[in-house]
Amino acid sequence: MAHGATSNQGSPTGAGPRATSTQQADSLIEFRDIHKAFGSKQILRGVSMAIGHKEVFFIIGTSGVGKSVTIKHLIGLLRVDSGEIHFDGRRIDDLNEKNFYPVRKRIGMVFQHATLFDSMTLRENVALPLRKHMQLGHKEALAEASVLLERVHMQHSIDAYPATLSDGMRKRAAIARTLAMKPDVVLFDEPTTGLDPVSARRIDRLIREMSDDLGVTSIVVSHDLDSIFSIADRIAFLYQGQVYKCGDRADFENTDDAIVRQFIGGHSQGPMETPGF
Amino acid sequence: MIGEGLITGIGRGTMAAWRELGGITVLTGQVLRALVPPTMDRPELLRNLYRMGNRSLPIIALTAFFVGGIMVVQAGVLVRQLNAAGLVGWGAGYAIFREVGPMLIALMFSGRVGSNNTAELATMTVTEQLDGLRALAIDPIRYLVVPRVLAMTICLICLVILGDIIALYGGALFAMLVLDLEYATLHYSLVDNIGWLDFIHGVVKAGVFGAAIAMSSCYFGVSVRGGAVCVGKAVNAAVVAAAISIVLLDFFLTYLLP
Repeated sequence: MAHGATSNQGSPTGAGPRATSTQQADSLIEFRDIHKAFGSKQILRGVSMAIGHKEVFFIIGTSGVGKSVTIKHLIGLLRVDSGEIHFDGRRIDDLNEKNFYPVRKRIGMVFQHATLFDSMTLRENVALPLRKHMQLGHKEALAEASVLLERVHMQHSIDAYPATLSDGMRKRAAIARTLAMKPDVVLFDEPTTGLDPVSARRIDRLIREMSDDLGVTSIVVSHDLDSIFSIADRIAFLYQGQVYKCGDRADFENTDDAIVRQFIGGHSQGPMETPGF
Repeated sequence: MIGEGLITGIGRGTMAAWRELGGITVLTGQVLRALVPPTMDRPELLRNLYRMGNRSLPIIALTAFFVGGIMVVQAGVLVRQLNAAGLVGWGAGYAIFREVGPMLIALMFSGRVGSNNTAELATMTVTEQLDGLRALAIDPIRYLVVPRVLAMTICLICLVILGDIIALYGGALFAMLVLDLEYATLHYSLVDNIGWLDFIHGVVKAGVFGAAIAMSSCYFGVSVRGGAVCVGKAVNAAVVAAAISIVLLDFFLTYLLP
């Protein structure tokens, strides 16, 4: 472990989650008691956690628990109802849309469905942030985009349109587009969902390489246990709108907590309450 | 009970209409603010000018040509009865420049370009491509909406000017074929009676209609929530809103402009 992992555990009885202290020394990002509701539906009920420099930090939990909602707050795509978010020592949850743009240049996001622009080739997609933020001309941006696409092993499809490619290829191109910003942090929303095992492991390798080679902090929302147990530095398990358990891979593999074990084992029977089932 | 339901329905409809109008007004404000200073993505503007303008040209030209013909054929009966061949050029030109040209071409443009624009933006919205832009620290209003508004406004002005000319030639051709009039009669009837003001009147209308189509199509595109069904509803709402705004604006502009 490159970073001092903390291990915290919620109620092992499954009677309800507890607010857990998940502070990390030398943290780059801190969520402090985040609450978020959509209409009458309360999604986050006091999420607190801290993520360190260069960490590969996974957020796991059942569908609809608020994993994607949590990370979208970091770049201002959603706004907290209460609580605070700190990035690099500065509070960011209260920034207005305009003031969020500098933060977004440092925190990139790879969406679940890649969100490449259909009307552009892969190279043009990757060149867009280069043109906009790196003050590169059209030709220079395209040349730099080709290099970035090569880094994610997409050099053979630089002039293809997103619609003609597989999900895995689109996601790799989306990673290249995010890397074009030279971000300090990259948020991944279910990067391996819907991919075949080979493509999924390639994405895992890319995430790990980004941390090891480029010093990028990665926050990954995922259900993919193979990914989690192969590349995560630390893991936060969200349950009932709170961080139920936070720790490193060994903490999760060796836990006695019935709820965590049910999730990791993928058992339909157990103490975990899953609304709608 | 029926009366209560009717009043509730009218109330809901009115509230919804005001909400949409408010949304379009806010978006218009954001677009105007983004134009100061006028920094926008030039490739995106050029791409939109090409696909909205160039690709609309054949259908607008065809429509305009026959609109000119319809004007003359409709006038034909009266022209024969009143022996007023000298007024055909003036009548056709006046109607085409001031009313029929801008309005019909705007409606065609709304159906072809406005609906396409709404569908594209709405699809981008529901597939999180707009959030993707924001995540790249790119303002979707500045990058996507502003170039489209400018492109649609410029394109409609150009298409109306071109359409007016084609409609006049269409009218002249049909007048010679159907009414057996000479080209010179039509020409002098037009140039002696139609002034620059008539032409500019139509061009101003075209600009306003273009902006209205652009704003409504962009608004319904970026404000859509939900999935594919909502994209269809957004396109429908945008076309209806554009048609209504064209008619209302036409009324007020006709009243206000010289």
